[in-house]
Amino acid sequence: MLELIDLTLSYATRSVLQGVSLQVAAGETLALLGPSGEGKSSLLSLVAGLQRPDAGRVQLAGQDITRLPPEQRHIAMMFQDHALFPHLDAAANVAFGLVERGSGKLAARQQAVQMLDAVGLAGRGAAAVHTLSGGERQRVALARALVCQPRLLLLDEPFSSLDTHLKQQLLADVRRHLAALQVPALLVTHDRHEAFALAQRVAILQAGRIVQQGTPQAILQAPASAWVARFVGLDNVFDDHAIPPQAFVLGAGQPRRDIVAAQAQADGWRVTVAGDGGQPWQLLLGVRELAGQGAPCVGQQLAIGLDRRQVLYW
Amino acid sequence: MNRSLTLPALLPLAFLLLMVAAPLARLLQEGHAGFSLALLQDSYIQWRLAWSVGQALATCALALLIGLPLAWVLARFDFAGRRLLLRMLMLPFVMPTLVAGMGVLALFGPHGVAGVNLQDTPWLLLYGNLFYNLPLLVRAGVDGLEQVPASRLAVARTLGAPPWRTFWRVEWPVVRPWLASALCLIFLYCFAGFGLALLLGGQRYATVEVEIYTLVAYELNLADAGVLALLALGVGAAVALAYAALERGLARPQRLAPTLRTPAQGWPQRLLLASALTVLALCCLLPLLAIVWRALQADATVWAMLAEPEVLAALGNTLRFSGAALGLSLLLGLCHGWAAQRWLALRALVFLPFMVSPVCLAFGLLLLYPQYSASVGLLIAAYALLAYPFVAKGVLSAAAALPPQLPQAARTLGATPWRSFCRVSLPLMRPALRRGLAFAAATAVGEFAVSLFLSRPEWATLTTLIYQHLGRPGAANLQLALLLSCLLMLFALLAFVVIEWPEKNHARAD
Amino acid sequence: MLKKSVLLLALAGLSLSALAAELRVMTHSSFSLPKDRIAEFEKQNGVKLSIVKGGDAGEMLNKLILTRANPIADVVYGIDNTLIAKASAAGILAPTSSKLGRTEKDAQLPGAVAVDYGYVTLNYDKTWFAKAELPLPATLDDLAKPAYKDLLVVQNPATSSTGLAFLLATIADRGEDGAFKWWEKVRDNGLKVSKGWSEAYYTDFSRNGGSRPIVVSYATSPAAEVFYSKEKISESPTANLLLKGGVFLQVEGVALLTGGKEPQAAQAFVDFLRSEGVQTGLQTKMWMYPAVAGTAIDPVFAHAQKPAKFSNPSLAAMNSKTAAWVSRWNRLVVKQAN
Repeated sequence: MLELIDLTLSYATRSVLQGVSLQVAAGETLALLGPSGEGKSSLLSLVAGLQRPDAGRVQLAGQDITRLPPEQRHIAMMFQDHALFPHLDAAANVAFGLVERGSGKLAARQQAVQMLDAVGLAGRGAAAVHTLSGGERQRVALARALVCQPRLLLLDEPFSSLDTHLKQQLLADVRRHLAALQVPALLVTHDRHEAFALAQRVAILQAGRIVQQGTPQAILQAPASAWVARFVGLDNVFDDHAIPPQAFVLGAGQPRRDIVAAQAQADGWRVTVAGDGGQPWQLLLGVRELAGQGAPCVGQQLAIGLDRRQVLYW
Repeated sequence: MNRSLTLPALLPLAFLLLMVAAPLARLLQEGHAGFSLALLQDSYIQWRLAWSVGQALATCALALLIGLPLAWVLARFDFAGRRLLLRMLMLPFVMPTLVAGMGVLALFGPHGVAGVNLQDTPWLLLYGNLFYNLPLLVRAGVDGLEQVPASRLAVARTLGAPPWRTFWRVEWPVVRPWLASALCLIFLYCFAGFGLALLLGGQRYATVEVEIYTLVAYELNLADAGVLALLALGVGAAVALAYAALERGLARPQRLAPTLRTPAQGWPQRLLLASALTVLALCCLLPLLAIVWRALQADATVWAMLAEPEVLAALGNTLRFSGAALGLSLLLGLCHGWAAQRWLALRALVFLPFMVSPVCLAFGLLLLYPQYSASVGLLIAAYALLAYPFVAKGVLSAAAALPPQLPQAARTLGATPWRSFCRVSLPLMRPALRRGLAFAAATAVGEFAVSLFLSRPEWATLTTLIYQHLGRPGAANLQLALLLSCLLMLFALLAFVVIEWPEKNHARAD
Repeated sequence: MLKKSVLLLALAGLSLSALAAELRVMTHSSFSLPKDRIAEFEKQNGVKLSIVKGGDAGEMLNKLILTRANPIADVVYGIDNTLIAKASAAGILAPTSSKLGRTEKDAQLPGAVAVDYGYVTLNYDKTWFAKAELPLPATLDDLAKPAYKDLLVVQNPATSSTGLAFLLATIADRGEDGAFKWWEKVRDNGLKVSKGWSEAYYTDFSRNGGSRPIVVSYATSPAAEVFYSKEKISESPTANLLLKGGVFLQVEGVALLTGGKEPQAAQAFVDFLRSEGVQTGLQTKMWMYPAVAGTAIDPVFAHAQKPAKFSNPSLAAMNSKTAAWVSRWNRLVVKQAN
């Protein structure tokens, strides 16, 4: 279990983290979600030992590791741009940590090649790093992190440079490997899709503080503030409430409302209607929901009601 | 983290203290009784100072103007012999000034091949400055431009930037810190110059260093010499600090991605490449060729003198001394360059050995350590003092270009700071380190300043031997000196090729 | 590393002191003697000769003066008549004499034991003058005439001992003001100034790629040209231009240093330099005349004329005024020569 207790960090006069506390259980993946530049990566540096906190503690499996240098923490970290060593080939990159932890060069390389097999890079061990594709680099980085059987896995926006298709494939792979590893994993990301797909629990960091944590469902169902609601992707967020998509009721008998904007999407239409009290309501209408109605356009009307029990207040 | 920078800093700081600061202080102390700033009101001294600064600045501007386009061509086009050319570019550095002067005059002198006599005209002065300084700028420019990944150039081009806009907006920001250090070095060299420009242009182009030399070595007027040396140090320090601030402000970690280099395609590109190579050859290599050409005309009896024990001993000494100096330079340069990442002052101190008047240094060392003044240890230390800044500079630029995530990744994978340095940072800095070492070797093989120190006949290197023969009249002496110069070039070129032997994984970064 | 260099320094120091009998000889950079003679000396006297070169003679002397509290040598060779008064005044020389041989009349060097002597004078390029069909200048004043514009190269007396010697000769002949008037005239007549003898001889002298057919050099240089010629030639391509007020007699000597160790070996070295072997051997090594009267002169010296007259200032004047003269010369000649 990883425990972060009251971590505080500031650079000169700028406060970066203000008393952050978190727990991640073995086998659990926690996603730290927040906009860029709000201290996520700094928090990860503290956990990795690349930086020292001004106050607070980091505990791993009951041991206080706050003052331990990174190499003694026995953890693994995946970096945003993979941080592969350009002077080493793929297998040597993977073997790097093994060598540091005392394996012989030959044995380490063998194990690295096996690990590359496991992440789907059979036969690519001798490839120079700059000849690998983005997805391949990602897999090398993953293999390098996993091969040492770390006590903790840290992921710093590891998928940010990949395209959607590749990302989903890799997410599945990483999920599988994480499940097999049974160690705590801390994922830092600004992408809620990534967070919700990989993590059992999500913590939301705003301006150096955790403003909400819980399962993805719990957060989506009850965002703690308008900011959180917007950040987790709700379209219709107002001063004291938000309307989640499931609160809208479509169909005959509902009040007809003017369409003020309509935009085609890959899988339907994004439609804005004039809601109660003139509030602009945004809806994503799937192809199925629009069946038989033709393309919505400005000037037409749409029958939409509101299930008030589903509206979120804070 | 801090400690890992403090510890290595102690070594070069102690070295500089013992080899530069203390001797200089000792010399100043010897002359302090007569200190008078009245000297600076002397119009003759003012003129020397103004000329020293002016010609150094002019050389910098000229080297930049001519050198940068050359560097760009060398960095972007591939052609047969490119690597060898880059090595040969360092040969001017090795040439004794007098021999280089003879090479230039063989081209543009009264009996020169070119048919025009440029001796005693400003053109030759300019040319002499370019001969030594252009290679510095071109090599730095090539190194800097090779830091620009191909993808970034491609992006700029697809965004509609024509080549020169691409250069201005993408390449120039990257190459600036590299040029800054080269320009700083050129300034310091020219400012304290005793060199080729003086030889070709005549004594009226003497710099303030010549004045200091006369005051110390001939008149033993340490008071006035001290005032001038401090003033020169002040100018040098201001330039070095400006460079350090500029470089620190500009240095950005670079992605270590392959760079773009293509064969020249089409007539315009081929013409560009051909004219760049012509200018380069004209400025830096032709005088060397002239020396080789003159040397090859030597008589059989003179050729036979190459096998004499004194020549073999000199060759051995050259190898031994430069080897030892290189070893020491590597250690000092690594420590200084690595530690200087953090501290601006330490960064400026990299060039301290070039800021202090060499003659003051030589006499200060003699005053401070009379008992060791003719010892091999001091000789090697003196060689290393003038060679290691190149290594430190290489380490510094390479360290700045190193993405910080890489050593961090190594740390999280279980490497201690030291292991991370050895397994990640050092290998990634190796190309820059090798380049620095090659320049250091050139300095150690060359004549710089060592002539001012006490020496022993049994320490004669190729360079000293060349000067010995040029100290006597007669055709045989002249021819042997020229032949020895060729031997020196051959030796140096061999050393450069070995030092900068391309690494398998880094063929692209070379 | 620091430890290493300190260790190196210490080792070097040790190796110097470990050998019981080591004679430290300071010389100028042109010092050169046949190797077998040196080996012979070491063998006969049971000492190791440790020769240290201190640069140009003037530079060497100043190094000795600066370190007089901790002498870095036991004996010095190469102090000449332009420097001897300065050396004596600085108190670095111990009384030295040699019973060997009688010194030539011209080669007197009070305060030291004369070893050799020579003349600094103008050399000219024979071929150039033959081709140009120009008569040789008959006096120094001719050199200020338009016919001889751009023909002369001299060394800067601030950085070269030949340059200094030539300046001293002009001053001795014409007096200080007269000499500087002459310098001003030749300056305006296209005088070229170079840093040292090598630069002047090998880049400015018309015989070696330059454009100046008249150069300040030694009276023995034409003989050296023959000696070091490629194919053995019978006539030198250069010759002396012995003009009144343009010849300086230089006498070089050896002396013990105050505070030096090994006085006995040092004395032996002084006598060694006066011995017949060295007096004969030095002629074609250092291109100077032997100071001991009656020494056989090498036949190649027939190609060099020995000047009958020379002009030297007094030793005392050279000691007290040289610095001011050199400074005045530089201000007059170097700064204004644009």
